[in-house]
Amino acid sequence: MIIDVEGLVKHYGQVKAVDGVSFGVEEGEIFGLLGPNGAGKTTLMEILCGLRRFDEGKVTIQGFDLIKNSYKVRSLIGFCPQETLLYDLLSVRENLSFSASLYSLSRKKFKERVEFSAKVLGVGEFLDRKVQQLSGGMKRRANLAASIIHDPPIVILDEPTVGFDPTIKREFWELIKNLKSDGKTVLLSTHDMYEADEICDKVAIMERGKIAALDKPRTLKETIGGEPAIHVRVKDLQAKKALAILKEYGGILRDDEIQISSKNPWETMTEVTNKLASEDVLAEKIEVVEPTLEDVFMKLSGRKLTEVEQ
Amino acid sequence: MNSIIGIAVKDIKTFFRERGTIFWTIAFPVLIMLLFTAIFGRDIPFNANIGIVDYDHDQYGISTGIVTGLNSTGFFTVKNFTDKTEALKELNTSSVRAVITIPQNFTFNLTMGIPAQTLIAVDETNPDVARLVRDGIKTFFSEYYKTLYYNQTGMNYTEPISVSEEQTVAHEPIGYKENIVPGMLTYPLLFSSMVVATGAIVFEREKGTLKKIRASPIRPINVLFGKTLAALFQTAISILIMSVLAATLLAPKLNWNIPLLVPILFLGSMNGIALGLIISCIGRAPQEASNAATTMGIVLQFFTGMYFPIEYLPTYLQQFGRIIPMTYAAQALRDIMIRNATLEDLLLPIATLTFTAVILYAVGVLLYRRWVEK
Repeated sequence: MIIDVEGLVKHYGQVKAVDGVSFGVEEGEIFGLLGPNGAGKTTLMEILCGLRRFDEGKVTIQGFDLIKNSYKVRSLIGFCPQETLLYDLLSVRENLSFSASLYSLSRKKFKERVEFSAKVLGVGEFLDRKVQQLSGGMKRRANLAASIIHDPPIVILDEPTVGFDPTIKREFWELIKNLKSDGKTVLLSTHDMYEADEICDKVAIMERGKIAALDKPRTLKETIGGEPAIHVRVKDLQAKKALAILKEYGGILRDDEIQISSKNPWETMTEVTNKLASEDVLAEKIEVVEPTLEDVFMKLSGRKLTEVEQ
Repeated sequence: MNSIIGIAVKDIKTFFRERGTIFWTIAFPVLIMLLFTAIFGRDIPFNANIGIVDYDHDQYGISTGIVTGLNSTGFFTVKNFTDKTEALKELNTSSVRAVITIPQNFTFNLTMGIPAQTLIAVDETNPDVARLVRDGIKTFFSEYYKTLYYNQTGMNYTEPISVSEEQTVAHEPIGYKENIVPGMLTYPLLFSSMVVATGAIVFEREKGTLKKIRASPIRPINVLFGKTLAALFQTAISILIMSVLAATLLAPKLNWNIPLLVPILFLGSMNGIALGLIISCIGRAPQEASNAATTMGIVLQFFTGMYFPIEYLPTYLQQFGRIIPMTYAAQALRDIMIRNATLEDLLLPIATLTFTAVILYAVGVLLYRRWVEK
């Protein structure tokens, strides 16, 4: 394990922000901490980066104890927080140079890393522009470049795509996957289930300072998320009739769709399609929906992640 | 109009939610008023150390009475010397502002009706102090003899003891501008350095960029030294501008001994910067830290003797002034520029400023660990 966390506890006054958290991250994987705001994700990440002290537990990074070797550990991590930590009046290159100086990078290594940032993170086109002149997406890319300028084996990203539109979000996911291809271990936090599902090799679902579940996204969905469902939508006038027909399959009306859970969704879908057709009910939409991490979170906490956010 | 009121209301609400800002807003007028009251709210707004060398040793207690009388004025604190050379040595370092010599046969002459002469040597490095001390001593002797004669004879006698002045200090008497220029050079040591350094940590924290620094393997002392270098650069610009302007606009007759001025200015700046960094580590918001630095700077300038002589302060505040590093920097600058002090003369201020800078940086590191990294 490149990151090993055992029984971590952190209090803010009377509040337990992190409550006995234990997990391990394998070298070269993308590990996601998924949970709503206030679940303790940021606190946990800041502890790993040496930004916060903790009350109980043990953290080992690449074999080094976080407390005993805090400066060594810091050099192994590239931390990219939610907010853009760049100096507006400096150019991107100057910001990168400042970050490099914090890690005592040689001039040669710095040059190499700037080239890497330009190629892999796409900062080349605006390297010499002042940060205040950049768009939000450019700033975030520059922020990530500055965070990993020292070529750390571990990259910690706190909500890396929060506030992004879908296109930029996808671009950023590619950047994160590129980091993995480059041999980095990535630990990221997110409250976007789709993001966690899309890019993470492993996900820990956090709720109220605890890890409620931890596994590969597919395994979590299969073991906790429940059975796949067939979603059927018919015209309003035929809704009652359709519901009556599909009752024998366990169909229930949710929102404006009839939902049927099934272990063999594709077979069931064929049957349902035929049945509706034989009864002259025209389906507007009929599809198989696999369980999502949202379902996993709902099963674990009894709430929807999006509801918790609101 | 609504937007104007909205902005004002928001700012006022913010003000009331920043406890530190409230504290310094209240502390500033309170401290200034207390200070002004302590300095100017008394009958005798001056107290200077003077030395007295008594070669008369009379049996009638007249010369002893002079010492008691001078002390009782509240205007002077008198130090007795047996050796005039020793007294003049202290005059040369401004430890005493004047030396009164009572010659042999002083009492005899006085009682025989022969004019009795005393000699005074006055430290001219500060024209204000020199004038006050000279006038004070002359007035004292005039009044003292009148009292003495009246007590003995019951009659008024108008011929006072004559006071002659002797020139003992190597340099010429100086003007006001020569006195004020070294004081002006102390200004950037206290204000520029402290204010610049005050922003160093607290602004990084406010902007969030401190996280980046703290997440890196850089040690607190190196963070403080990095910030110090930047603050030194800015302070050096202030000093340079002030020096050039002072030299060209005021054209004072001063000794611009660069090799000696640089270490004093450097050490003085280091003390100011260290103080600023301490405030910066503690400050929770830039406004709070800025208020704290401004208040401290304004208050401390009264104690350093940079603008007006430290003798204007009550004796207990003079003692406080003597524990402030900047007082030593201000005095050392005057010693170099007015008194042509040598490196040997400056060993004490250099040692003091170095010692205080080390202590202040140690406190800075401690506070960085306790407040910034907590």
